[in-house]
This record gives sequence, C-alpha cells and structure tokens, in this order.
Amino acid sequence: MSDMSSEHVAKIIDFLRNGRKAEDVSLEDVMRLAELMAESFQSFFKTMDLAIYAELGEMAREIANMKEELALLRLSDMRDEHIPTAGRELDAIVEATEEATNTIMSAAEEIMAADATDNDAYQALVGEKVIDIFQACSFQDITGQRISKVVSTLNALDKRITTLVEKLKIMRITDAAGDETAAEKRARELMLHGPQFKGEGVSQDDIDAYF
Amino acid sequence: MALDTSIPVLVVDDYKTMIRIIRNLLKQLGFEDVDEAADGTEALGKMKERRYGLVISDWNMEPMTGYELLKQVRSDSSLSKTPFIMVTAESKTENVIAAKKAGVNNYIVKPFNAPTLKSKIEAVFGD
Repeated sequence: MSDMSSEHVAKIIDFLRNGRKAEDVSLEDVMRLAELMAESFQSFFKTMDLAIYAELGEMAREIANMKEELALLRLSDMRDEHIPTAGRELDAIVEATEEATNTIMSAAEEIMAADATDNDAYQALVGEKVIDIFQACSFQDITGQRISKVVSTLNALDKRITTLVEKLKIMRITDAAGDETAAEKRARELMLHGPQFKGEGVSQDDIDAYF
Repeated sequence: MALDTSIPVLVVDDYKTMIRIIRNLLKQLGFEDVDEAADGTEALGKMKERRYGLVISDWNMEPMTGYELLKQVRSDSSLSKTPFIMVTAESKTENVIAAKKAGVNNYIVKPFNAPTLKSKIEAVFGD
C-alpha cells in the first residue's frame, strides 16, 4: 500500500478538491477520476498480482481511448454551432411561410373585395394579384433548402449520439418516471398530438361517422 | 331551410392566419358577423359578454385549449346550448371521441375546404 499512499492519494484528493471544471459532475470528471484511481491502484497491485496489474493497465488505456474518441465526436460543435444554426433555419422557415401566406391571402382578399363591374380594371387587378401569388409561392424552394439543412443536422446529431451510446456501452436508456415536465403532462392529458402524417390519424370521412 | 347567416360567430384559434382563413370562408358563405379569440380563456370571456350562434374552435391552444373551452361551455347553463364545431389538426380517434363525449356538435380536420366547412355548419343547424 505504501506505493500508492502518498503521491497518488494526494493526486486524487487534489482532483476532488480543485480539479473539477464546474459545480456539476461531468462525464469528463468521472473519467478523469477513474483514470487517477486506475493509476493509483496500478502501483499498489503491481506489488501483489500481475494479472490485476495488467487489468488495471488495460482499463487505464480504455479510458484514455474513450476520451480520445469522445473528443473526435466534436459534441461541442453540435451544441455551439449546428443546433443553434438549425434553430435559426427553422425560425427563418416560419417567417418565410408566414410572409408568403400573408401575401397570398392579401392578394386573394383584394380580388374578393374588388368591383367586378368595371371589367378592364378588374382584369388588370386580378392579373397583378395573380403575379403576386406566384412570386410569393417561391418560398417553397427556399424553405425546402432550409429544411434539407436542418435534416442534415439531425442526421449528424443522430449519428453522433448513436456513436456515443455505443462507446459508453449504454445498452438501453429508460425514461425516468420523474422526467415528464408539467407541459408534457398537460399535453398528454389534453391529447395534444398536433397534425398527423399523411395516412395516419383519421380522415374526415371516418370522423363524420361519429356525428 | 336556408342557413341563417345573420348569427354572430366566434372563431377561436391562436394562429391568426387560420382565423383569417375561416373568417374569409365564412364571409363567402354569407356570415358577416364574425368575432375572434386567440384561446379558450379569451373566448369564454367573450361568450359571457355576448350570445354567439356558433363557436368554431381550434383544439391546441394555450393557456386554455379548445377541448377545455368546450367542457367549460357545456358545464355552464347559460352557454351550454351554443353550437360548437372543433376545427383542428388533432385527428386521432381518441380526440374525436373525447370531443364527442364532451358535447361537440361537429369536428373538422385541418386542412379543410369551404364545402366541408359549409356542410358541417349545415349539419349542426340541421339543414
């Protein structure tokens, strides 16, 4: 025990006191602590059992490899760059569709309210408003491109999370009972599903059968 | 019997564009007296101030949903007879059954068109 007692115990104590980067315990903290413990026990068991010593050495290498692999996943890039960008893309989509809808509806309302008795003026107005409607429909092309970028981000996120789950050897993630937020509980109780995908949910004809 | 288009209608939706669409469709059908509310709470307040001949409400709104509004309306003796149509994207069977049990008069799934809206209003008034 003398091999580990002073220097290694001091390292562990120092880490526990000062080494952590934030108040909350992070995965990095746990790995660093495991690394220190493995190093400490390595020197202790070296004097007792070569097999255990080798096992500890293997564990230390595994931890070091995992740290390198996690770094390669560049998870902070997702948090700091890709996800905020995807959020901005979605905001821009909402804005563009709203703007286009307003343009189209205003044009339609002007046509509806126009005086059809003056044929020439009416035709000119309808022609002008139809062009406005066509132009507004160009939003579909731009929003389509934005949506593709968001889908790419989601795919990249999915890939990295899957890799992370594999690296950490998490076999199954179960939902903790207490994880449901008040908003989620309310949505569940009030059956707030939102729009269904095509072919899912019930059709108007099916609904009509209830009335 | 012709549809009585002089009745005041209350359209409840948190999405202004949808209110605008329904208002224009109602206008085409001849309904000119159309009020609007952005959620169930606002709608309930308006219904207590004015007697509406028809309420057309979305389901998914905050703080009070259309489903909660429907239940409040049906439990208030002064409002309980008000015809109530749910116009919503919530198209799961359980929602339709829940709304029916709560006393909705008809149920329209978004997106919908003018003939569907017209036929459901007519069905509510027995035309």
